[in-house]
Amino acid sequence: MVDSQDMVKKVFTQKSARIDTNKGEEYYNCLFENAKQRISMLQKQPALKDIDMIDVIESEGINRRDFMKWVSATTATLMLPPMFEPLVAQATELMNRVPVVWIELQDCAGNSEALLRSSAPTVDDLLFDVLSLEFHETLQAAAGHDADRQLEEAVEHFKGKYLLFVEGAIPMANDGKYGTIGASGETFHEHLMRMSKDAAAVVAVGTCATFGGIPAAAPNPTGAVGVMDLVKGKPVVNIPACPANPANMVGVILHFVLTGQIPELDSLLRPKFAFGYRIHDNCERRAHFDAGEFVEEWGDIGAQNNWCLYKVGCKGPMTFNNCSIIRYNEGTNWPVGVGRGCIGCSEPDFWDKYAYERPMANANIKAPTGGVEKTVDEFGLGLLTATTIGIGLHAVASAIAGKKSEQNEEE
Amino acid sequence: MKTVDIVERIEGEAKLVCSWKENKISDARIEFLNFRGFEYILQNKPILDSLVYTPRICGICGQAHLKATVEALENIYENVNEALVITNKAKLLREIGLNIEIIDSHIKWFYMFIMPDIAKLSNDIKYNKYEPLKGSLWLNASRVASETIKAIAIIGGQWPHTSYMIPGGVMSDPTLFDLTSMQNYLEQAIIFFENTLGGIDFEEYLAFSNMEDFLKTNGSLIDFKNIAFKNNLEKIGKAYDSHIVLGSSSLFESGKIKIKNISKIDSSKISESSINTFKVNISKKENEYTWSKTALYANEFYETGPLSRALISNRKFIKTIHKEYQDSVFTRVLARMDELAHLLYTTKKLISKVDTSEPSFIKPKYSLNDIETAIGSSFIEASRGSLSHKVEVSKGLIKTYDVITPTVWNLGPGIKDKYGVAQKAIVGLDSISKAEIVLRSFDICSVCTTH
Repeated sequence: MVDSQDMVKKVFTQKSARIDTNKGEEYYNCLFENAKQRISMLQKQPALKDIDMIDVIESEGINRRDFMKWVSATTATLMLPPMFEPLVAQATELMNRVPVVWIELQDCAGNSEALLRSSAPTVDDLLFDVLSLEFHETLQAAAGHDADRQLEEAVEHFKGKYLLFVEGAIPMANDGKYGTIGASGETFHEHLMRMSKDAAAVVAVGTCATFGGIPAAAPNPTGAVGVMDLVKGKPVVNIPACPANPANMVGVILHFVLTGQIPELDSLLRPKFAFGYRIHDNCERRAHFDAGEFVEEWGDIGAQNNWCLYKVGCKGPMTFNNCSIIRYNEGTNWPVGVGRGCIGCSEPDFWDKYAYERPMANANIKAPTGGVEKTVDEFGLGLLTATTIGIGLHAVASAIAGKKSEQNEEE
Repeated sequence: MKTVDIVERIEGEAKLVCSWKENKISDARIEFLNFRGFEYILQNKPILDSLVYTPRICGICGQAHLKATVEALENIYENVNEALVITNKAKLLREIGLNIEIIDSHIKWFYMFIMPDIAKLSNDIKYNKYEPLKGSLWLNASRVASETIKAIAIIGGQWPHTSYMIPGGVMSDPTLFDLTSMQNYLEQAIIFFENTLGGIDFEEYLAFSNMEDFLKTNGSLIDFKNIAFKNNLEKIGKAYDSHIVLGSSSLFESGKIKIKNISKIDSSKISESSINTFKVNISKKENEYTWSKTALYANEFYETGPLSRALISNRKFIKTIHKEYQDSVFTRVLARMDELAHLLYTTKKLISKVDTSEPSFIKPKYSLNDIETAIGSSFIEASRGSLSHKVEVSKGLIKTYDVITPTVWNLGPGIKDKYGVAQKAIVGLDSISKAEIVLRSFDICSVCTTH
């Protein structure tokens, strides 16, 4: 028992799973200088699209203050201290210097749908007017040969510079015949390899593209795998979850604009700024967990009072993601907010491991990073409450709150 | 002379392949080339896991799949004579969630799929506002859709891939404040309808009964009508004009129309064929060209979707339009947008009926795991038409799970000498761009179709 507790503790506190929210003044100063140089370099580059972010914002009637609010929130999402806010604001305006190509493979279009609902200032404009989305097969106008040509041109023209976003898994069984695309009948695998060859980095969006997702659930009839199983020799960023949170997609792009590099990743290639801590660490129902107040079944007194959902199967303690802070649909809500409990959709194998009505309290579930086979009750409540991963983030958030009120005073 | 013309990526990976004879399309195949195998994956999974799996069949109509699954599982209880008690509140919250998803889908479909294609038919620069990713109306519609969908997030936690329904009710328990917020989000869609889509007072629109009334509108709908008539879209896209609606709700009635009379549905007459469909683990035969199956009722093809719903529910305005223009592209598109208005109206009313003091969930007397073997099924009206789920369970596990999506009814391959619905509507056309528009008028969803 003690041994396994130690192991669990190790799993949750090991370096690859931990995020360092305060890397020290020297680190941030150095990063700040690099970002400044990167931005002035980008500013000298011609825009891929001749659209000025501030014009867009003003023409849409969004005031500067709303925009700065968004900048603050995004800077916090990226886990950067407030001194980076002016640079993030500048980077936002420079998003039209970084071309993005988005391809869909064995998918349900859910991540594209989520992207359309990215958070404001009317990020529809931010993304579609400013971000140089060179290709997105569902959203663009062109179909047929025009679409194919558009894709080929984008890839050729922006060789080595574009970010390739991939939505959907890749079916490998039966020579890839479960998913083909275009007039030539190219398989999804061939398509991915060809499109990623000249990309600056590949961003796998959603649990299908990262870990195979539901298509890879047993018996995995189509032999679905994720992007990182196939694309080698270049940076791959995983943004799992079903659907992936658009705030994290925008975050990765902004980080790339800001620094010219992909953000720091954990052992599963997930950006630490988003996946460096667990749902549980920042959950709004956490106080009830600590107080031992649980929903025992849906509709009971606990459910009516928004108590902790751990006993009805919430996988929050096992799931690394920032949805408890960012939420979905522009911060409107998230699963735990309606009393559903987390299904662990951003973890590998969630489809077979964590699925629904298997409350952790009476199921044998492995810890997300593997290696520990113990029922969760044996994890011990004390252990789960012991982690302090989330605290750093709160510090950043409150620093920003302070900054914000300063701005308000100035205005 | 062209012999074959391919439009790939018509929607996602779907492909349209047309053969030509004497400048007319002599054969059309709609190929769906992406397959994931949900029905295989669901086999042998714990029963309630289906609530997590099936919504992920589609990122656009996940809510519909969730509701279909929940109701199929509840139907199991009925079939073993232990029908569950579902409170009115839970029923309302489910229907409201589904309606909002359809509202969102209709707005996006019109502005992101149909209008960009229609606007391309005209050179007039005043239609630049429909240009994808750039046009002012395209952007405006995308923003309104994002706002509207927040109404689901309030009760469902998030969208897409919402999961808040469970046999016995729903997990969420909205407060009055939540319900008011939902009304506010819907109100934005109504304002959009009044200012942009219809350009007319909402109540006035709902009282329409004929074309003359319609000509009073002054928004995107009139833009659509003007371009459509200039390009004869009221004359093309006609299929069998046989309609089917399997689900029912506050707004929709189930039934079918063949020729003229509305009649009841006998669900035992629904069948699926896979003659021209690829098979898993078996190398393909000459005639197999798509992952989509074919859905039939009494061995006949039926169209499903908003036009079918308007006709079977006897909505006067669309019935008059249909009398004049039958099942053309024009009628089909207009029926969908007309449905948007009715959905907005109905859904606002439904939200006001939610009684927050009622329970959201009543626990079933026993678990599905305790049932030896049983079958359950459900019919739902989703954005694109009728969706059915059928599940067979045994000792806590799913034995088989069968899903028939609306697009399978409309865009599935023909069998033997008979064309499928969309095939029939395309064959005989004289241009590929018209064929593309006809196909789009059915609101294609390739991921749902093949699942």
